[in-house]
Formats: sequence, structure tokens, C-alpha cells
Amino acid sequence: MLGSMLVLLITNPSAVLSEMLGASADALKLCIELCAVYAVWMGLIELVDASGLSEKLAKLLRPLIKKIFKIEDKETQKLIAINVSANMLGIGNAATPLGIKAMQALDDKSGKANFAMIMLIVVNATSIQLLPTTVIGLRASAGSANPADIIIPTLIVTFCTTVLGIFLVHQIDKLKRRKEEKKR
Amino acid sequence: MSIYILPILFIVLFVYCIYKRINTYDHFVKGAKGAIKLVVDIFPFIASILVAVALLRVSGITSFLTNLLSPIFNLLGIPPELCELVMLRPFTGSGSYGILESIFNTYGADSYISRCACVIMGCSETIFYVATVYISQTKVKKLLYAIPVALICSLVGTILACLICKVM
Repeated sequence: MLGSMLVLLITNPSAVLSEMLGASADALKLCIELCAVYAVWMGLIELVDASGLSEKLAKLLRPLIKKIFKIEDKETQKLIAINVSANMLGIGNAATPLGIKAMQALDDKSGKANFAMIMLIVVNATSIQLLPTTVIGLRASAGSANPADIIIPTLIVTFCTTVLGIFLVHQIDKLKRRKEEKKR
Repeated sequence: MSIYILPILFIVLFVYCIYKRINTYDHFVKGAKGAIKLVVDIFPFIASILVAVALLRVSGITSFLTNLLSPIFNLLGIPPELCELVMLRPFTGSGSYGILESIFNTYGADSYISRCACVIMGCSETIFYVATVYISQTKVKKLLYAIPVALICSLVGTILACLICKVM
């Protein structure tokens, strides 16, 4: 930010304030749009939650999570399952508090991230999404003819990256272990 | 076909809720109420990022960087118009929604560029934000290989997104 201000001081000093105010106005406009989008999706997600569907999704995911994260603790498995399923539904904001709790449960106080923690970060970062809710909403309000036509491409890509992420973490973990064994 | 996905999902959801005897109206209202608080929470972040991006843009730093990186982007099959989004996405979620919005306004919501941008948004995350927030309550200081792996996956996702949007 400072850098670009310094450049502008030389090239176009009159633009600085007007650009900043314009951008801030754009932000407000975007937030009003987002508010409308969130209201609809969060209303629907509340229904998913209240009807017990999110619990069911979490239960469905548990065996898979046990395998990927290599953890035995039931409570942690559940936390991760809900975190992942919230991500799947495109409600990253609901996933965050659960992710933090899961991390605390996984922490072994060694100061280094362990396998499951790294896996959780990578799985969250590649974010398996079934429904990119906010993106669809914003696209609809931008006047798209068929805002949902990105669902299938998104699904394909997000599936590939998540599998790649899990694969890479597993491979690196294997390599590391082999090295440690050699040292001994 | 994709036109039907959302309406069908919604109908299934409502029917299921009625079957479970849940007061759909009350719960919908309760959920929708959360939207105001959420938007109030994220507005300062969106505003700051958009201001920073606007300054970067008028000062010409963005176009300088885009020019610098466009050969690499071209090589990977990523349209240079998406440069800003790809670079900022790992750092800020709300800010990248701002960029997405401006891509919609510049190129039209149904253009190839916009569709690529949508898929990129869908398959990536604010890696640095997630990593910081998630470990904030633990003793972990070293993330080892978590960030590099996440970044590699995002880049692969971006390349795939641009490829898939060409055919689908």
C-alpha cells in the first residue's frame, strides 16, 4: 500500500484520495450484495443444520477421515468431520471455529505440526466444495444467465486438488519416516 | 442440466425439513439474521483490501507485475487477466471476492475469464489466513511442509480450472 502511494506521489498525486474513496464505496456495495447472498444461504444452511442433515453428513465422512488423518480419537474425528462437511457446503466461516478446536485436540505440544495437523491445513486449503455458495450468489447478482453452471467444473477441480493434497502429504510423510529410520 | 441442480436440492431440503417437522420459516429467519453480523465483521477487511488493490492498480504496479508474470501465466494456460486474483487469493478471502466482483463487471459474468475465476475461487482457499487462524490456539510454531503443499495444490487447481472452463 505504501509502495503504491509513493509511486502515485510522483505519477498522479490527485488520484490517491479519490481512488481510495471509490474503492471503499465499491466495498460497501459488495458487502450489501454479500449480505443478501449470505442471508439466503445461511437461512438454508440453518435448515440443513436443524434437520440433522449436517450430523448425518459428518457421520458419513467419519470412516474416511479416520483413514486419511490416521487418528483414533472419536471426538477429534467428529470435529474434523463437521469441519470438512461445513467446507463442503461452502460455509467456510462455520468451519473455522471447528477447525481451531480440532487443531487444539491434535496438538502434541512439541511446537511442530504433526501429520494430522498438516493434513487438516492442506485439506482445508484445497477446500473440497460441493456447493460454492457465495460464488454462485455473487455471479447471479452480476446478471449471469446460468450462475450454477460452474458447479460441475468446480467439483472436478476441487476433487483433483484435494486428492493431490492428501497424496502429497502422505508421500512426504513416508519419505520423512524413511529418513529418520536411516538415521537410526 | 446444471440449471436444475440448485432448485432440486432446495426442494429436497424443504421436503426433508417438513418430514422432520421442523419450523422452516423460523429456522430460515434465524440463519438469515447471522448474515448481517457476518457482513459487518468482514466489511473492514473488504474495504481495506479493495483500497489497497485500487492503489496498486492506479499506480501501475499491478500492470507491471502482470506484464512481468504473464509469460509464466501464458505458459501454464492461465489468462493474464486473472493474475491479480491468483496472487491475492491465498491471502484474503473477502478481498478476493472483491476482485471476483470487479472481474464480473469488467468481462461479464458469463465470460470465459469470469467462469475461470469462479472455479478458481471454488477450488482454492485463503491458505495463509487458514493456517494462521487454525494454529493460533496451539503451541505449533513450525508448519513444516503444510504451506508449500497447499500452494502447489492451489496452483495445480488454477491450471486445471482454466483448462476445464475451456471445454465445459
